[in-house]
Amino acid sequence: MSFSEVGVLALAVYLTVLLGVAEVANRARRELTPSDHFLGGRELGVFVLFLTLYATAYSGNSLLGYPGRAYRTGFSFVMATGFMMAIIVTFHALVPRLRPAAIQRGYVTPGDFLRDRFGGSRSGRILGFSVAMLMVFALANFLLAQLKAMGYVASLVTGDLVPYSWGVIGLAGLILFYETRGGMRAVAWTDAAQGILMAVGLLTLLVWLLVGSGGMTQITLEVSKIRPEAVAVPDLKTSVNWFSTIALLGLGSVVYPQAIQRIYAARTGRALSQSFALMTYMPLLTTFVVTLIGIAAITRLEVGTGIDADGVMPLLLNEWAQEGPISRVGAVVVFIGALSAIMSTADSCLLSLGSLLARDVFGRTGDGAKQAQQGKWLAGLVLVAMIPLALHRDVTLWRLIELKMEILIQCVPAFLLALHWGKQTATATLMGLVVGTILSVGLTYLGFSQVFGVHAGVAGLVLNCVVVVIGSYWKPSLPVPVKA
Amino acid sequence: MRMKSRKTGRRILLGMIGFLFVASVPWYRQGGEFQLFLGLPDWVAVAIGCYAVAACLNSWAWLWTEVDDHAELNFLPKSNDQAEEKGS
Repeated sequence: MSFSEVGVLALAVYLTVLLGVAEVANRARRELTPSDHFLGGRELGVFVLFLTLYATAYSGNSLLGYPGRAYRTGFSFVMATGFMMAIIVTFHALVPRLRPAAIQRGYVTPGDFLRDRFGGSRSGRILGFSVAMLMVFALANFLLAQLKAMGYVASLVTGDLVPYSWGVIGLAGLILFYETRGGMRAVAWTDAAQGILMAVGLLTLLVWLLVGSGGMTQITLEVSKIRPEAVAVPDLKTSVNWFSTIALLGLGSVVYPQAIQRIYAARTGRALSQSFALMTYMPLLTTFVVTLIGIAAITRLEVGTGIDADGVMPLLLNEWAQEGPISRVGAVVVFIGALSAIMSTADSCLLSLGSLLARDVFGRTGDGAKQAQQGKWLAGLVLVAMIPLALHRDVTLWRLIELKMEILIQCVPAFLLALHWGKQTATATLMGLVVGTILSVGLTYLGFSQVFGVHAGVAGLVLNCVVVVIGSYWKPSLPVPVKA
Repeated sequence: MRMKSRKTGRRILLGMIGFLFVASVPWYRQGGEFQLFLGLPDWVAVAIGCYAVAACLNSWAWLWTEVDDHAELNFLPKSNDQAEEKGS
């Protein structure tokens, strides 16, 4: 069997399994409420929770964007292992306080916390709406990156029997089907299977690369000859950028709506802390592995350093597949693992988008069943709107992640600070959000996405926090009513 | 008592993790030669070593984290009216 025939067969089997899981999840549904549809009835145990967190956190960006980035920048991209780990550390500031509030007050979306914390005042309502809109933008951006990656992988795994555009449209339709049918249960169960496939696939590929290249020492020596700057000690600007990237992604990623909703969806607080105790090792087993794959590619491939670098992983797999029938099957397993990682992130984004739009942007008045139904429709509309954009390939996957993060990180004070600081006011938080967003977006559009290695989003966050603190302490002096 | 000591222990662990993150970035050595360690440039091996230790400490910190679903919500207003006073 040729590579493309094995690929088509494996893809067909994988997609059939996904449809089966969606059907089982649909039958397990107890009621059509936002909590049951968007949070799986808050029943996720340690194992499923860990795997769904894993599969959601490691996406098309991790599988295609990160090796491309490591290929472009060299060993300094080991910073990615640091920022993925920083995310699990930052959750310490969020989980112990947000989780009990979510259970006792019945939160479904991030906006539920904001309404609870900042109340129904005008500033509180505008803040909730603004945060929801920023989150929708970030999620839509993230979803776009996944759609592009799905098209890529589907066309490669089938030897272009399924063209890029068909891959984007067909797989998007499939995700929409199983997400609307099974809700969070379908998403979490498919994530669990996808997480296992992804981990097995990546480790297999790394072993092949190490064995085929004569070991890590040989790879490093060869890279130092081909591209000495890829192994050199980073300069000060790169070190500053390393810290800035840890701050940008370590802080920004904890306010991903889908991550917050998994905190709500855990069966118990204990299950949540045990899942995070396991998750903390995954950057070493995944991010570091994809970084090494990107580095090893320097010795094997010559591709452009721009958009083409996102194709590093698929090119490596194609090369592997040429070596014989066993490696062909191995390459297809990794391709399907990559595709499943991408789809698992896309389905989580879509579910969160539906809930945010239905509950935080348009909702709050309808009954539970109506809101869940509305969420499904809105998610579908967003997905359809994203498809034409996904058919254009003008931005690298890494750039899409950075753009999203620079916006999303501005929501951090509304959650992390507000959970720990009682004096924080809605007006000050709103002002901080507006000022921080304007600064980060303004700098990016003026061509200063980084200033001496510091991301525009991090600069925006610093200003945002200063405004929140000063604004929360500042009390306007009101005119004293004169007594008659 | 056990809870209190775990809380303190967790804070110490988080402080150590913070230190490891600072040490993982090679800001303290610019340019110059490097050696290979386990097939990696030494500054990469230091970074990965720091992250590996940080992972173990963080895992331990999570196992010591008490996420009590019935904990008191002192940081939240009891009703929206109070939130309005407090939050705007």
